[in-house]
Formats: sequence, structure tokens, C-alpha cells
Amino acid sequence: MAGEDADWNPGRTAIHANPKTLAKRPAVLFEPMLWGIFSLGGFITAFLLPVTIVVLFFAVPLGLWPAARVDHDAIARGFEDLLVRLFWFVLIGGSLFHGMHRLRHSLVDAGLKKLEPLLNVVLYGVAILGTLGALWYTILFDAPLPFR
Amino acid sequence: MYPWKRRAGWWLRNPRFLLFQAREAGGFVSALFGLLLLYMLVRYHEGVASYDAFLAMLSTPVALTVLALLFAFVMVHALTWFLLIGKAQPIRFTKKPLRAGTVFAINIVLWVLVSGAVLFVVFGGL
Repeated sequence: MAGEDADWNPGRTAIHANPKTLAKRPAVLFEPMLWGIFSLGGFITAFLLPVTIVVLFFAVPLGLWPAARVDHDAIARGFEDLLVRLFWFVLIGGSLFHGMHRLRHSLVDAGLKKLEPLLNVVLYGVAILGTLGALWYTILFDAPLPFR
Repeated sequence: MYPWKRRAGWWLRNPRFLLFQAREAGGFVSALFGLLLLYMLVRYHEGVASYDAFLAMLSTPVALTVLALLFAFVMVHALTWFLLIGKAQPIRFTKKPLRAGTVFAINIVLWVLVSGAVLFVVFGGL
């Protein structure tokens, strides 16, 4: 059991439901929250992303739709509706958190356990900054000054 | 007790494992599309010329081929996610869990309806 993998042993550690033992452990709060956001992002991505990709990137080049349906004016008309702005924000934020959380766990599973702190900073950083960027470009860019 | 370790290439030995990995990759590809959509909004806010150049850049045969390949992963992710919901069933509306196939079918119907709603609300209809 000795060696560099000794501390990387998922699923093998016995869980004791002893209140005295549990009280000594720090509360696990952040991890379930991240998995919750990951799951929510999975739903958002599965339901909303395919149709969005087809309409934006394939319909016009393949001749299924006129170019005017996705041009600058069409996007601007959509931005007049708060629901459409929320759609873009939720889709971008949801896909970023879902994908980056998944990538982080895949890379740790693949053996990059030692880089876990760096992966946390970089990957969750991309998700957080990307979501803040989406918030700016969808909701806040023309909001009254106190919100900008 | 021995340290747990998977062999390299474990996911190539079984079609189920391969599909699992394809869904995981699809999750990451979804994030790439998220970044692409964010970049699209940046170009949109730069003005008409910048946004048109962005769309033109993605309309070349090479770009369309890459997008189609990535889109395949997004579709695998979506379909296997709906299969997964049937097995995990995080939310139950019935006393006993529904059959996985039934839940999958319900999700496909919902997916079609939601896609139609996106088409009309976000992109102005057919």
C-alpha cells in the first residue's frame, strides 16, 4: 500500500456514521454545491445547446435559413427581451460550469492529482470569469449606472 | 489492501465505457461552445462588421467540419444525459420509479418542445 498512490484511493475508505467521529471532520459543503451546479449545467446544456448550435452555426451556411435570421439586427432584436438575455446568460454560465467541473475531475482521475489545486484555480476560474463575462454582455452592459 | 488503479485505455475495452467517455468529452466540448458563444457576444458588442466577420469565419468548410465534429459530441452528451436521468431519477413524481425507457422518452419529447420554444422565443420562429 505504500507508495505515491497510497493517498489516492477513492471508494476504499470506510465511512463511519459515528456522531463523535463525524463531529471531528470538517463539514463537506463546497463539493456537493459544485456537483449540484454541474448537474444543473448538464440539464441546461443538454436541453438548450444543440438547437442553439444548429440555428447559429449550421442553418445559414447549409441554406436552411436566410442569413438575416441570425445577423446583428436579429440578435439586437432578441436583446430587447429580458428572457432572451437570460437565455444567453444561463446557457453560457451553465455550459462553462458543467464542462470545467467535468474536465477537472477527468484530469484528476487521469493521474493529475498533484496538480489539483492548480486545476481548481484555472478551470473554476475560467467558469467564474466566463460567467461574469456573460453577465456583463447579456444583462449589465446597458443597465443603469449603479449596476455597471 | 492494494491501491486502486485503472489500466491505461480501460475505456476502449467496452462500448459502454467508450460511450461514458464520449459523454464526458461532450461535457467539456459544451464548455468550449460556451466560450464560443461568449466570444460571439463580444464580437456582437463590437459592432456589425465584427459580428459579420465572426460568422463568416465560422462558415468556411474547415470551420464547419470542426464544428460538426464537436457538435457530434454535444449530441452524444445530450442523448446519454437523457438516458442517465432515467436511471438516476433525481426527481420523482410517482410513488415507484418510472422505467428508464419511459423517462428517456419523456425527456426526448421535452427536448423537442424546449428546442421549439428556443427557436420561437430566441430566434423568432421558423
